[in-house]
Amino acid sequence: MRPRFVKSQREMEGRFEDVWVLVDDDDDLETWPEDADLTIVGRPATRHDGPLRASGGARYTVDVALPGMLHARVLRAPVARCRVTSIDLDAARRIPGVRAVLGPEGPFTMHGDAPLTADPAWAGEPIAAVAADTPDAADAGLLALALELEERAPLLLDDGLTEQRFTEEPRDVVRGDPDAALASADVRVELTCETPAHVQSPLEPHAAVVRWDGDALTAWISTQGIFDARRELARRFGLVPERVRVISEYIGGGFGGKQGAGIEALLAAELARASGRPVRLVLSRHEDQVVGGRRARTRQTVTLGARRVGTLAGIELAAVVEMGDGGWIFPVAEPALSLYACDDVRAMTFPVRTSLRAQNAFRAPGMTEGVTVLEQAMDELAAALGIDPLDLRRLNHVERDQGSGLPYSSKRLLACYDRAAELASWTDRERLREPHADGLLRGMGCATQIWWGGGGPPAHATIRLDADGRALVTTGIQDIGTGTLTSARMVAAEELGLALDRVVARGGDTGPNVYAPVSGGSMTTPAVMPAVRSAAGKVRRILLSLAADVLEIAADDLTVRDGRIRSRDGALDVDIVEVTGKLGNATIDGTGTRGPNPDGFRVNTFGCQIATVAVDPGTGVVRVERVVAVHDVGRIVNPLAASSQLEGGVIQGLGYALTEDLVVDPTTGYPVNGHLDDYKLPTIADVPEIVCDFVDVPDANLPNLGSKGLGEPPIVPTAAAIANAFAHATGRRATALPLTPARVLETLA
Amino acid sequence: MPVTLEVNGETHVLDVPATRRLLHVLREDLALTGAKLGCGEGACGACAVLLDGVPVVSCLLPVGAAEGRVVTTIEGLEDEAAVLRDAFVAEDALQCGFCTPGQMISASALLAATPAPGREEIRIALAGNLCRCGAYPKIERAILRASGQGAS
Repeated sequence: MRPRFVKSQREMEGRFEDVWVLVDDDDDLETWPEDADLTIVGRPATRHDGPLRASGGARYTVDVALPGMLHARVLRAPVARCRVTSIDLDAARRIPGVRAVLGPEGPFTMHGDAPLTADPAWAGEPIAAVAADTPDAADAGLLALALELEERAPLLLDDGLTEQRFTEEPRDVVRGDPDAALASADVRVELTCETPAHVQSPLEPHAAVVRWDGDALTAWISTQGIFDARRELARRFGLVPERVRVISEYIGGGFGGKQGAGIEALLAAELARASGRPVRLVLSRHEDQVVGGRRARTRQTVTLGARRVGTLAGIELAAVVEMGDGGWIFPVAEPALSLYACDDVRAMTFPVRTSLRAQNAFRAPGMTEGVTVLEQAMDELAAALGIDPLDLRRLNHVERDQGSGLPYSSKRLLACYDRAAELASWTDRERLREPHADGLLRGMGCATQIWWGGGGPPAHATIRLDADGRALVTTGIQDIGTGTLTSARMVAAEELGLALDRVVARGGDTGPNVYAPVSGGSMTTPAVMPAVRSAAGKVRRILLSLAADVLEIAADDLTVRDGRIRSRDGALDVDIVEVTGKLGNATIDGTGTRGPNPDGFRVNTFGCQIATVAVDPGTGVVRVERVVAVHDVGRIVNPLAASSQLEGGVIQGLGYALTEDLVVDPTTGYPVNGHLDDYKLPTIADVPEIVCDFVDVPDANLPNLGSKGLGEPPIVPTAAAIANAFAHATGRRATALPLTPARVLETLA
Repeated sequence: MPVTLEVNGETHVLDVPATRRLLHVLREDLALTGAKLGCGEGACGACAVLLDGVPVVSCLLPVGAAEGRVVTTIEGLEDEAAVLRDAFVAEDALQCGFCTPGQMISASALLAATPAPGREEIRIALAGNLCRCGAYPKIERAILRASGQGAS
């Protein structure tokens, strides 16, 4: 090992921070070139845990049952803002089977702000929590609390701007002189559109099971970030992290909404401490829909100015974001600033406080909202200029990040446009608008995708090769459904020269203390897989060195591939067990550390989607018939899982465009559709034909696979492409999404 | 009064209220956790089990209503559903996998009634099983594959 510290930049969902990074020069492997002769990476592989998941044997957090375990329930604010005037904690404690009750005043042992309050500021904010022998007894305990409250007027989005009611200072990012540029533009268009409140809706609700063993804490949490959860629990309960173990082996979806320990793990830990028993806390579906999180509703006005030839002269964006009780301002403004070449831009973001929980991450947060409106404005501009919408986008292509001035590490967006146009038969799109026998109006629309996804340090992996010639990859990454551990096996097997079935991968447990980042920001593949490959490279070098001893030949003259060690002259060809078998109970171990991305670049992902829709002008029903999705995310590790990610993102984007919206009752501020029968997710019957393709060229500037992240990119352009297809089909543009039948009929009237 | 329940070929006599939901009994009393509580409101299908061979949402069914009938959960499906399971894996028809047991139950009931279903029949039969990850295109392909129709 040749470890050293270097100063580098870390990126998470577009936010950059300077960090010290541990670098081991031995980890620095040359990026596999485009024409590398790979036998496993880049070929479809089924996920190893597929059979277990498909047979009901995978144990999710909600399935964890411990001896003596109690069941917890949370009393929540039934209106958006209120003040508790009476609550009877002792009455709850008298209910048979109730073992622990926490009220707004606790009693808490945790440090920091308590997650219970007598002064709720948002719909569903926790007031009290009960743990009991059975869920029924816990429910009885909640009823016995006999909550009385005084309602207060909710804070709503509508008057947020006039009241200047912001969670933080509004942002105003200006580049150049947008006022002058827009004033002197040959053509100007302005578009206002509202985007809906979009609920992650993972089918496994937020859940935690917590057990204390003395002062050690074990927590099973349905979370996208086990190490964040460990840090949070350790800090809150005054423990060193080593005394906290977080396990998240199978996670029933997250999509951004399951970060860190969550209130559920904090409350379960406190209830477990108070009762001396393990505690399970699982949110109900209604709780999860109301307090699990959401993509913020936005109201955006975009003004575009262009020269007659089609190049953008100026862009102005004013985005009102319904923050709820706070949270980060996600990069709604980013597409205006970076999607197309433009020297003169103003992007304003107004973060309005309302009486909902703080908005949180949902797959490409901010960027999706921004692209959804900006890309509709681009189509309006194309119409005003009389230029083909795809050509307009090509005309405004940009090769560098305009905010930083840095070049992109790689950008193959033009290839995405060309391939998507070909797959969608874009040049025939006007034919769709001819009358159809079924009376439906058809149209086709496109949209461009941008997102980050470069990953970065820190991420680690260890690999242990045993006497049987089998390798165990250990990482701290949790698999939220992306098949990431299968990717880790593939990368390790490729580098080790082993068959895939001789490599297993383990994750989702902080116990081994092998750090991996949160499953978010499209960073899993680009952060973790280089560490896996580096670890495998070290094991391979040791293996060949040992083989050299056994075979009495120089290590440099040996290769390992397909589980066989061969001499370069072809004279020797032995199964690796000939060498590993001599290890006995010893193992060959290697540790890999993810180094920094190279300075001087911005790492982003790109893509283009083209949607075809059919609109029934009589009923207002919009059906998406086909979506073509072509993305550039560098090298694809597992094409099978990658296409699944892509389809999944498109389908969530389809829900965002057509049916999904968390609607608030203006009198109480409480959501009216916090259930799955009234918050309409796409079903199998709603799904169009989805045609996927990737540019699949490694990014030569990224270590050491050339892969970027893929989780978030596919949702970014879908709603915009659908909205543009709707406008193409009908000649009308809705002022808000989703395109429900009622809204469509209004728009067509 | 105890409830007698036949699940996956075994008879259980349970001291539970007849109004308790079948899903709760399966998961908490019989430790059969393959069926999932996704919503508890009959809206997502993650809790689907077969009742006399017909898919039902076990989160809404009082356990008393299952007396004298045959309950089959994902765990009891294992042998007959091997082809279906393999097809789900081969087509990558699952991501997080939380809804997958319910999808498998609905798909197996469909194939039992309609050995070679068309796409529309698949879409109708599976429309009650939500998949938030969006594995739907591959679920459709997996069912076609399991019914010997290959992936289209």
